[in-house]
Amino acid sequence: MRSLKTVAALAVAALTLTACGSGGGDGEAADGKVKLRFSYWGADSRQKLTEQAIALFEKKNPDIDVVGEFSDWASYYESLATKVAANDAPDVMTLEIRGLSEYAGRGALADLSGKVNTADLDQGVLPSGQVEGKQYALPTGVNVFAMLANKATIEKAGEKMPDDATWTWDDYIELSSKISKGGGGSVYGTEYTFNPAYLTIFAAQRGEQFYNNGKIGITPETLKAWWANFDKLIKTKGSPDAAKMAEVAAAGQEQSLIATNTGGFGMWWTNQLGAMTKSSGQELTLLRLPKLPDAQKSGLFLQPAMHWTISSKTEHPAEAQKFVDFLLNDPEAGAILLSDRGLPINSKVLAAIKDKLPPADQQTLTFIDSIKGDLDQVVVPPKGGGKMEDIIRRYSEAVTSGQQSPDEAATQLLADANAAIAG
Amino acid sequence: MVDSLSLKPEAAAPAPAPAVKRGRGRPQPSLRSRREAWAAHLFLVPWFIGLFLITIGPIVASFYLSFTDYSLLEEAKWVGLDNYVKLFTEDPRFWTSLKVTAIYVVVSVPLQLAFALALALLLDRGLRGLSFYRSIYYLPSLLGGSVAIAILWRKIFGANGLINAILGVFGIEGTSYVNDPDTALSTLILLHVWTFGAPMVIFLAGLRQIPSSYYEAASIDGAGTVQQFKAITLPLLTPIIFFNLVLEIIKSFQSFTQSFIVSNGTGGPTDSTLFYTLYLYTKGFKDYEMGYASALAWVLVVIIAGLTGINFLASKYWVFYGDSK
Repeated sequence: MRSLKTVAALAVAALTLTACGSGGGDGEAADGKVKLRFSYWGADSRQKLTEQAIALFEKKNPDIDVVGEFSDWASYYESLATKVAANDAPDVMTLEIRGLSEYAGRGALADLSGKVNTADLDQGVLPSGQVEGKQYALPTGVNVFAMLANKATIEKAGEKMPDDATWTWDDYIELSSKISKGGGGSVYGTEYTFNPAYLTIFAAQRGEQFYNNGKIGITPETLKAWWANFDKLIKTKGSPDAAKMAEVAAAGQEQSLIATNTGGFGMWWTNQLGAMTKSSGQELTLLRLPKLPDAQKSGLFLQPAMHWTISSKTEHPAEAQKFVDFLLNDPEAGAILLSDRGLPINSKVLAAIKDKLPPADQQTLTFIDSIKGDLDQVVVPPKGGGKMEDIIRRYSEAVTSGQQSPDEAATQLLADANAAIAG
Repeated sequence: MVDSLSLKPEAAAPAPAPAVKRGRGRPQPSLRSRREAWAAHLFLVPWFIGLFLITIGPIVASFYLSFTDYSLLEEAKWVGLDNYVKLFTEDPRFWTSLKVTAIYVVVSVPLQLAFALALALLLDRGLRGLSFYRSIYYLPSLLGGSVAIAILWRKIFGANGLINAILGVFGIEGTSYVNDPDTALSTLILLHVWTFGAPMVIFLAGLRQIPSSYYEAASIDGAGTVQQFKAITLPLLTPIIFFNLVLEIIKSFQSFTQSFIVSNGTGGPTDSTLFYTLYLYTKGFKDYEMGYASALAWVLVVIIAGLTGINFLASKYWVFYGDSK
């Protein structure tokens, strides 16, 4: 009995010791500097740029020490959620629009209204960081979901580039199937995606909003019409079949058909243009997504690439605000970060760095300018919106692989999607 | 072999020092053995820390969390049995994941064990270089659960993978097997069967335990190979088969990596590879429903415990221990 007690006592002692070790030491560093923790995800190249920007900020603010907490995308939210759960949230956090409501709605974020200077930012994009009227997040930059076209592949198959001001979905499908035929089996007209942005745009062209008053605003008819696009593509061999397409989609952007010069079209975010141009070695062109013949608008929208947010529990709100302000408004920071987190929405920063942007971004800038009059307002997905991508992909896979009828899938998808945002 | 476990006499024998009797009449341990006990406890402390911090603590916590609504971002809210009720009454994906896992276990475990036994029998025939083959065949068991192999599997069964390259020689055009809902789970079952090495090694050890005199006697009586296998090998091997069965069922119910990597973390296509543990993980870390995920975990515990219990009960009827009647 006694020996057991001893062991228990020792274990408790050890636990207390380890607990002491991890506690404390937060906030002020030994040298009197304020320590700010800043979490973000990405590839190595982004880490390098970000570290440079941090170094510049520290030079300008010698009393602040910014510690970057960097991880890859796949594990980012897991580790961030765990940190927030452990009351150990980083002071400045990078989030994207899908996670925004989860964090803001649960009180994890500080309201930035009036705390960070937003005078020079594109006012039309600011609502993408607002939840229930409060500015919890500020966009790092913007992207557009667009059609990428590989001119060389299309022309090699004996076809011409489409006119994206007038083309319809049926034009796109027909052209894709012609390219597949003209390519002689080694080339597909297009690859397809179940990206919710595609569905959002398609629905907008039919006058429907993805989220409407806390419910899914898309009708089963729209879903079925959307799936018909995939079905036609697969049947006319304009795209690979469902299984092959799933494999291509899983392999990522560098292995995509368009980046490997085995496909004519593909829908991607504009910030992926640079990397994909590099992979393909060809000139890739940004096009507007096709339209429905009777559509009133394009349905395209400016999507914030990411958001800067500040933890509601931070001990150094002033310093954190200063850092976010620096990332958004300082032209020198802009000159380092360029378009790595989307095209800057600060007009002054953009003007200062315009000439330094690589050709792909120049093209994106021109593209965004050309569609400026025909843009929809981006909507912040409600809590649970992060599940949409999975839900849409799951039922779309079932339909394209013939496992489920579109009727049944549409009903179930809407039921699942509504349940997801109901809480 | 020298029995290295035998204790030195002075450690085992009672201490020679006269034991002073105290009230309760319990012999007082010597200073030396007391010190040794202390040292033992001291050395055990790191293990206890690990046990409490990363095993028992989280287990207890997850039991509590399974009765809460816990998003990770907020404090957990007590909801009673809600999670369990929702799980059984309004979550079709729970049943899907259970079905997928059950098919996986029911098909792959017997296949794997049969394969392991067949190879063990082959290797037991006094093959030269036995230890070499044993190591080679054991390798997949070490690698099978790894991320690298899962990625390799994607490649082999992909549209441009090895399988289709071979089929292509015969003019057959295959699909992407890991991305076709009809075949995706089969590729994972195959992966599991391929890791037959661990049960095979145990079977081999079991086969070695069967006295060769039995076989000699049988062959004198004119029993053929098949008869010998049925009458001698199989009955005497049942305890080993039972052991492997219990172990592999538990292990395959907990499979995660294969499905996670091969399906890119989605359990797709169309949930055809949605293992139970993958669903649990998705709920906890992607959907911010840690309370619900905890409930899922406890249901899995009950399922595995139940199956193991049934296994043990059923073993009375088919497992033959040499010393019992």
